[in-house]
Amino acid sequence: MSPDARNARRRQSPRRSTWLAVDVAAVVNLVGTLGKYLGLAVLLPIAVALWYGESVWPFLVAGALTSGLGLALERATANAAARVGMREGFLVVAVTWLLAAGFASLPYLFAGGAQLSHPIDAYFEGMSGFTTTGATVVTDFEALPRSIAMWRQFTQWLGGMGIIVLAIAVLPRLRVGGRQLLETELPGPEIAGFSERIRSTARRLWVLYVGLTALETLALASLGWLGIDDRMTEYEALAHAFTTMPSGGFSTQATSIQAFSAAAQWIIVVFMLLAGANFALVYRGLVRLQPRIVVRDEEFRLYVALLLVASVTLTVQVWSYGFEEGEAALRAGVFQTVSIVTTTGYATADFATWSTLLLLSIFALMFVGGSAGSTSGGIKVVRHLLVGRVLRRELDQTVSPELVMPIRLNGVAVDERTLRAIAAFILLYIGFWAVGAAAIALESALGSVDVGTLDALAISASAVGNVGPAFGITGPMGSYEPLGDVSKVTMVALMWAGRLEIIPVVVLLTRHYWRL
Amino acid sequence: MKIFLIGAGQVGFAIVEALHADHAITVLDTEPSRLAALSERYDVVTVEGDGTSRQDLVRAGVRDADLVIACTSRDEVNLVTGMFARAEARKATAVIRTSNVEYVELWRAGELDVDFVVCSELETAHAISRIIGVPAARQTDVFAEGQVQIVEFEVADGASPDMVGVPLREAKIPADSKVAAIIRGDRMLLPGGDERIEPGDRIVVIGSPQAAQAWSALLAPGEETVRDAVIYGAGRVGTAIAHVLIEQGIGVRLIESSLERARAVAESLPGARVYHATGVDPDFLERERIGQAGVAIFAMRDDAKNLYAASLAKVHGVQFTIGIAHEPISVTAFEQGGIDVSVNPRMVTAEEIIRFAHDPRTQQVALLEGNRYEVLDVTLKDTSEYIGKRFKDMPVRGALIGAVVRNGAALFPHRDDVLQAGDRVIVFTEAADAPRVVKAL
Repeated sequence: MSPDARNARRRQSPRRSTWLAVDVAAVVNLVGTLGKYLGLAVLLPIAVALWYGESVWPFLVAGALTSGLGLALERATANAAARVGMREGFLVVAVTWLLAAGFASLPYLFAGGAQLSHPIDAYFEGMSGFTTTGATVVTDFEALPRSIAMWRQFTQWLGGMGIIVLAIAVLPRLRVGGRQLLETELPGPEIAGFSERIRSTARRLWVLYVGLTALETLALASLGWLGIDDRMTEYEALAHAFTTMPSGGFSTQATSIQAFSAAAQWIIVVFMLLAGANFALVYRGLVRLQPRIVVRDEEFRLYVALLLVASVTLTVQVWSYGFEEGEAALRAGVFQTVSIVTTTGYATADFATWSTLLLLSIFALMFVGGSAGSTSGGIKVVRHLLVGRVLRRELDQTVSPELVMPIRLNGVAVDERTLRAIAAFILLYIGFWAVGAAAIALESALGSVDVGTLDALAISASAVGNVGPAFGITGPMGSYEPLGDVSKVTMVALMWAGRLEIIPVVVLLTRHYWRL
Repeated sequence: MKIFLIGAGQVGFAIVEALHADHAITVLDTEPSRLAALSERYDVVTVEGDGTSRQDLVRAGVRDADLVIACTSRDEVNLVTGMFARAEARKATAVIRTSNVEYVELWRAGELDVDFVVCSELETAHAISRIIGVPAARQTDVFAEGQVQIVEFEVADGASPDMVGVPLREAKIPADSKVAAIIRGDRMLLPGGDERIEPGDRIVVIGSPQAAQAWSALLAPGEETVRDAVIYGAGRVGTAIAHVLIEQGIGVRLIESSLERARAVAESLPGARVYHATGVDPDFLERERIGQAGVAIFAMRDDAKNLYAASLAKVHGVQFTIGIAHEPISVTAFEQGGIDVSVNPRMVTAEEIIRFAHDPRTQQVALLEGNRYEVLDVTLKDTSEYIGKRFKDMPVRGALIGAVVRNGAALFPHRDDVLQAGDRVIVFTEAADAPRVVKAL
């Protein structure tokens, strides 16, 4: 298209106001389209409900409402020009996750029983699902209908799919993660420009995601079939595969993965490790069989190194404090480490009852996060790596101000904008965590909820990092149900902002974003 | 041989100077004044014309040439000329000069349709790395894939008494090496066993790389092998030097006054430390301990800046300085000003190009002492009178065989050794005698 034609089109495109810099109609249009398809997700719990003879109405209504609303929004803004640019991207992402959490909460409202039907609780559970956090307000897992329990698991799996697109395609374009951080972007046939490449990349990673989920389901189910783990039914296998790959952490069991055998726990460790690695890298290693590229990746190396060190630290503590011994101690150490670092949030032991030193170790791990381009949340390993390098450069330049030192990642210089964005991200992340912790601690103290200072700090870190469990009554075997409404809303905000890597959310709060 | 030369600049001049006596040279240039200067001094045909014009090339007679050399200062002109030369003079060898390493790589990959590409920057970098390899050397050249080095030393007052002042046959000469020549004032001696090396002489040594280093240690005790280098100027020359030195395991610090350039170089050379500085700020020099560097190389674009920066570096304690002299006269100015070694990229380039004009059996030449002496790398003819002769029986003809390459391995001949057909010999000779020597071999 010639520049003239483009200008002409720009002049013709309908503008509802002259001062608004964001094309809200286009945003609504795209969100409507997404909602229209999202509503179809209820088909799976409907199938489960039919199989177990439970009511399908909650899901039918939820699906119809969501798809209907999506369709309506899409129709209402049908004549809006398709102008979803970078600016609109922030709003689309933010609104999508808010609405998706609302959609997820509808079946809880209709059929969740007493423990989920309160709107704030339902929305909390929905947000925890779609952000793949894994924090729950459920207290009595036995009382949940099978279909509702599976719906919880499934929302996390859907959230994981969204995150893959978010992490691979959307956030880098919004300069949040930085394209350069995903240097291992899948090479593919260069078809018709950028958006087509994103689409094909996302498609390939989805296939990988689905494939790994299927593989895990099979691996877990075979334990049941072989009689190694008689609690691992097909239903449980699928339910837990649904929440491992998105590094979610919801479980159908009150005692999380402790309910299952050692073999199941080790299998889940392996899949958590994969879920916390850069998916593009996993694709290269597993599908393209280029293990050398995986092994050479600096973020992957640090990811593995951190996991090793942390696993050993936790194992030694667990053993020496006498909580577990031998293989059980190793398993407890490794499982909890991998679960927290990948921000999954499963547990094989109630670490809330462990010693303070162990709690502090786990607390520290909540700030690590998995790899960029994975489904995990948190700060992420690559940011730690680059911030470390920036700090070292800062020290070197203190001595020699004239030194020119590009920061490299896998041998490629990272541009200074990306580095600044990382510094900004970490500061905002810490800020969100601190404010969140203060709010939770304050309300708990006033409302005499049994949440201590460390607990409040951990709850906030767990929410903003999309981990899930924290300490005290909100530990891996506990529930967030006793918390006050302010705390729950705070956590919803933290989970939402943390999932979107904070900056898109904060951008929406600036005047510059909205005004010309 | 009919040589067709495009570009009568410094490189062109140096080539004409070295080759005009034995070859028919036609020089093409767009600038009449340069051609006039050339034809006044040498017996060459000059034609005014444009190397990028096929018509001009044909009119000047490029079709008859055996060797076409495109050595203007502009890469694009040289490339186009080289391509036309290939099209018009199919039997000729086309050699082009470039200042961009990229073209060398392209040529190696077979993507440039010329016979040889000579890159000033790369040749300069290699020349400097050879000098650094032997710290006491004024000039070095390598032959036989690096197995043989020709090194010119200046004999300082502190040189080892085992070597200086004693007759050569009694001197403790390092193994696998030979004194090819002693240069005393304006005279060159091909030394016999009675000759002595005196302080102030310059000597030319042919030997293995280890022997060259041993010589260096004997003649300039206390000069250690260079471990780190400071390079002023991260332009094409500076970057090429840095690249070559890093490959040899020498630590490199680069000083560049343009921030943009400094950033670009820092990104492309992970092994180097890059400073954004002028290099003439005393605080900076002190703080970064530039004075402790094993060698400082001045590769900025401006000769005057190079000289000043080198003087300042000397003040701060740098022992070993190498200057890139862009103007021929700067070589002298640099030496007067105290820079230990100067390298003129255009001379280095000319030297490289001249090699192509020699007998096809001659693989490589080096020019010493401003073109007065040459070192040749010649393969023996089957009919050569030298085959089967012992070295001690060979007639002395103003030339010296420093090394023999037999089946790819270098030998350093002794008195009783015998030459065989097919041997490659490394010969040191006066430039004027070179064609005669080649013929005799």
